[in-house]
Amino acid sequence: MSQRPHLSSFLRRYGTLIGFLAIVLFFWTQRPQTFMTLPNWVNITRQMSILGVVAFTMTIVMVTGDFDLSVGAMASLVGIVAGSAFQNGGGVGQAVALALLVGVAGGALNGLLVAGVGISAFVATLGTLTVFRGLALYTSSGASIYGRVIPAEFSSFGRGAIVIGELSIPNLTLLAALALALVFVILRFTIFGRRLYAIGGNREAARFGGIRIARLRMLSFVISGLGAAAAGLMLFSRLSTAHPTQGEGLMLQAIAAVFLGMTMNEEAQPNVLGSLVGVLILGVLANGLTQMQIDTYIQQILTGVIIILAVTLSSLSQQGLRAPEWLRRLLPERGEAA
Amino acid sequence: MRKLSLLLVLLLAIGGAAFAQDAPTIAVMTPFLAQPGTQLMVEGFEAAAADKGWQVNVIDTSEDIAALVSRMEDVALQGVDAIVINVDPTQIEPGLHAAADAGIPVFGLDSGAHPLLATNVTSNGYTMAAETATYVVDRLNGAGNVVMFIFEPYPPVQKRGAIAQAIFDNTPDISIMDAITPSFDNGPLEGARNAMEAVLLAHPEAGSISAVWAAWDDPALGALQAIEDAGRADEGIVVVGIDATDQARDAIARGSNFEATVAQDFGGMAARVADLVEAHLGGMMSAQVNHYVPARLVTQADLMG
Repeated sequence: MSQRPHLSSFLRRYGTLIGFLAIVLFFWTQRPQTFMTLPNWVNITRQMSILGVVAFTMTIVMVTGDFDLSVGAMASLVGIVAGSAFQNGGGVGQAVALALLVGVAGGALNGLLVAGVGISAFVATLGTLTVFRGLALYTSSGASIYGRVIPAEFSSFGRGAIVIGELSIPNLTLLAALALALVFVILRFTIFGRRLYAIGGNREAARFGGIRIARLRMLSFVISGLGAAAAGLMLFSRLSTAHPTQGEGLMLQAIAAVFLGMTMNEEAQPNVLGSLVGVLILGVLANGLTQMQIDTYIQQILTGVIIILAVTLSSLSQQGLRAPEWLRRLLPERGEAA
Repeated sequence: MRKLSLLLVLLLAIGGAAFAQDAPTIAVMTPFLAQPGTQLMVEGFEAAAADKGWQVNVIDTSEDIAALVSRMEDVALQGVDAIVINVDPTQIEPGLHAAADAGIPVFGLDSGAHPLLATNVTSNGYTMAAETATYVVDRLNGAGNVVMFIFEPYPPVQKRGAIAQAIFDNTPDISIMDAITPSFDNGPLEGARNAMEAVLLAHPEAGSISAVWAAWDDPALGALQAIEDAGRADEGIVVVGIDATDQARDAIARGSNFEATVAQDFGGMAARVADLVEAHLGGMMSAQVNHYVPARLVTQADLMG
């Protein structure tokens, strides 16, 4: 951590946030009637709530230097598990409990493979991704589960909101806020969280420091699995449909959000508030570009370019790498101002 | 990082060309734009809309249904004049509710009926499947082993499989060897090709496979590739698809095992939905749940003629 609040340090830390605010300002000026309105921001928070839960819990895994590529497939599987429970006469409580249990079991399997067996997180979770996807497709025979079999109270939850005066806060937004608060507390205020950062910072040093690395890494995967399961249930409730591949888009977006969030930290560490900004950047871009009627494929290109730019510039400025002249012109000088 | 912010704004500005706001704006929304049939429908709609002086906003979410719902909520807030969807409406109900709350009519373009849709324009999936299934039954003289390529998750395609299966089941000497849902990981053509390779390996005897019935053209083309590469093109395996894509027409025209497909009138469907949107905007609501646009069987004789 920097002892003196240099301007360059400030920009390194808050550059992505400033970029986010610039994007918001841009859409505000382009679509003044619709973008910066309360209904639209409620809309954005509801749309991003599911990705948020995955990204927040994924942050915990990424703090230790691991990945969980199976979260999207797990979210899909959990929807099918809950849907199958409904088809077999299960109530909401049973279906939700079963689905969350599947999430925990899947996370534990990931943790066992990575921390116990020692397979790289990339390979292990790529494998479980395929297993979870196959299980979802097999269980559902590839078909969606929807219609009257889904209890009304389950589907109405995903579309419902808590109304406080003029403000209507979607239930899904509240769940995402709860997940954010929990992960924030875990990472910032618990010994468990600090140990996860120690593992991510230097695994050998953490080992010599007496930290039970395998157990903690395993626990981080369990939390990620639980988060993916919660997200899968939220998605199922929002769409009133469980499709065996419907959560698969979540994985790459969650990792992108965590990476964007890492640019907001001097040490380029995953941090959950950064992940929140990452999720919001992705959500605001999708929402604003749609309102501006930008071609959806151009939207994808722009989103990808923005992620790469943010991470590249942050990485170069943090590592002090000697960037090419053309790129250095884009970067704040080290020790600039003060 | 200040420069990064400027760059972001610049990038967005490049993409953000100003649009005329006075002409009616119609959002066309689908997760399936990579599919040839969807492309033809969207192009047909854009052409019809251009004639009517509308502005069209095409939104594709690359098979991501949840993202499509989010984008529907966005365009509902934005206040477009109408939304045209090409997706199973039962999977996007929150989006339909958002549009209904905003008073925006939603039209199905080969999507399926739903109470929240103003109306839906489609081909009759039952008759299309019946055309190709009976073609297979006739070609096999009512006896043989058929491999089916189906896709249950999408109701319009699911219907095709159901009716074809009923026709095969109703023909005593035809047996369904396998009903395969092709993997979409690398596109349905590759998925069907891989699956067909496995079927061919499992049944190496000449004549053991009589026909391949596919619910749409891509898996039929994948199966055709597998048959040709396995050197079994001369066994007389009859391959049929549905949709009459350019690639399917080429395969049929060159006299391959791919013998027949069904041409949906995608352009006709798109033009019909555009007319229905125009009528609706002019105050004429359609009471009809589904408008069926006729489709026709395409064989080599049709293409030569």
